Amino acid sequence: MTMSYKKRLVQRLRDGKTIFNIGGYIASIIYVLIIVVPLYYVIISAFKDNAQIFSAPLTPPSKLSLVNFINAEKTGRLGRALGISLFVTVCGEVLSLVLAFPAAYAIARIRTNLAALVERFFSLGFLIPAFAMLVPLVLLMAQLKLLYKPLSLVLLYPVWRLPLAIVVLAAYLRTVPRELEESAELDGASRMQILLLILFPLARAGVITVLIINFITFWNEYLFALILMSQENRTMQVALSILKGERSVDYGMLAAGVLFSIVPVYIAFLIFQERVVEGIYSGAVKG
Amino acid sequence: MKLTHRNNTIKDGDGAAVGYRQYKMERDRVAFLIFVAPALIAFILIMLWPMINMFYLSTMDWRGLVKPKVYVGLANFIRMTRDRHFLRALTNTGIHTLISLPGVILPAYMLGFFLSQRPRGYRFLRLVFFSPAMISVTAIAMMFVGVYLPEGILNTVLRGVGLGDLARPWLGNTSTVLYAIIAIDFFGGLGYYAVLFSAALTGVSNDLYEAAYLDGAGRWTVMWRVGFPLILDFIGVCLMLHLIWILVGAAQNVLLLTQGGPGDYSMTLGYYLYSQAFKSYQLGYSQAIGVVIFILGAVGLLLIRKVTQRDYQM
Repeated sequence: MTMSYKKRLVQRLRDGKTIFNIGGYIASIIYVLIIVVPLYYVIISAFKDNAQIFSAPLTPPSKLSLVNFINAEKTGRLGRALGISLFVTVCGEVLSLVLAFPAAYAIARIRTNLAALVERFFSLGFLIPAFAMLVPLVLLMAQLKLLYKPLSLVLLYPVWRLPLAIVVLAAYLRTVPRELEESAELDGASRMQILLLILFPLARAGVITVLIINFITFWNEYLFALILMSQENRTMQVALSILKGERSVDYGMLAAGVLFSIVPVYIAFLIFQERVVEGIYSGAVKG
Repeated sequence: MKLTHRNNTIKDGDGAAVGYRQYKMERDRVAFLIFVAPALIAFILIMLWPMINMFYLSTMDWRGLVKPKVYVGLANFIRMTRDRHFLRALTNTGIHTLISLPGVILPAYMLGFFLSQRPRGYRFLRLVFFSPAMISVTAIAMMFVGVYLPEGILNTVLRGVGLGDLARPWLGNTSTVLYAIIAIDFFGGLGYYAVLFSAALTGVSNDLYEAAYLDGAGRWTVMWRVGFPLILDFIGVCLMLHLIWILVGAAQNVLLLTQGGPGDYSMTLGYYLYSQAFKSYQLGYSQAIGVVIFILGAVGLLLIRKVTQRDYQM
């Protein structure tokens, strides 16, 4: 036992594994602190008043006061904003699949020389910096009579991220064996039936990947939501930015707002952790 | 056309079969177009059309939605060369790119490689590293309000470890404000890319590492000489994503934290475009800046592709 341990240690030292790991841990711990300290600061500040925050920044709160949360909700109307964000995200997800799934099916499955062309078109469209064309986008939404309405975001978000959704779904659809479709076709199933009843359930992993990537984008988007929405229809992210006053900063209230916006998403992440990482990774690889 | 002609010449052989194949091809093509049409039309209307419009508007002098548009050719672009704020924004975005692109991606690769070796506690590290990616950019910016306040956490920590001399109002100081904005990338981006790189490296066959170790290579060498080239394509994808973030996404941090100030010391291209459009109502000029961002982005992405794409793989 001791012998083999010694031998392993010698071997490890020889290939530099131990030194490498020590370096890795030191770097990791520094980075963990960079992440955890500001988070800790936000969490404790949310329960303290401003005098306490500035006089003893790192001390945990003596009592759990919810005043900051109540103020944040009042100032930013966070409850309403949460509703708007949910509406935009859910409708956007549905529209994304309605547009992307049939297109991905056609690209992956229908044998025609157009398929490669269209796929190339979308994979280039992936790289358009939508923010650069801010003014024409606002004009377009005004022409469509959607300016200041949540529907403008419901339309913009899925179409903006459409290239990624299509490329990811097409990649998953290619892994589904063709025989299933062919036998369904012989049984007289239409393309629509094949799409909805056979391929959609089989490409579940791809659908979930797209839903996760979209959720993170749609839920967190700020600039378009700021420009395209009225004050009545602020999304969560825009409402959060309102909490930082123009002149003075009520940091306790701001921290409460940040916490309020983070916690639901973070709990979802903790539950679906593996899926989320896997989903974002395969989105990046296939995109 | 050509197809029909060729099929006609061999018609007498197996006409029915050829006819059927041709019919099926035609039918497939129609089906393809029907299934692709909604996505294609939506994308052309909402992404491509505004993009074309951006180029059109960049040639206009247009000072507000209700004002008339006047065609001025390239005057907006000539104006940029004399616009002090634009030149500052261009320089700042250049500095941001030079620091953030290698500064985030290379350490992220190293941490990702470390994670992919599955050291003790790697699950916990991966969870923490990925956490900032689950926090919206807005929430991160709001957190950093508290980090950078004069009485904020950064100055408190500096005073706590005896470096009180370094304490300053990070966002109010002309010499630190840009770097304070850039530093936020490290909080959010580094761990995100590290976890993605470790996922990419997990797919690398262990045999390749073993072979290198047998040849006497150390971890450090294996990390850069074996792992790095093997996932270079993927690193290229991440470089592209990060470049797009720097060019346009980061405008959001400037907007939320400094609005380009103090003076124009934290002005970036993305934020200048926004402020020209929605604060100064220089709509034409702002879209000329959009064109510059678009071209810089396209050139940057092509360069990254050129450097990171190798032919021998796959």
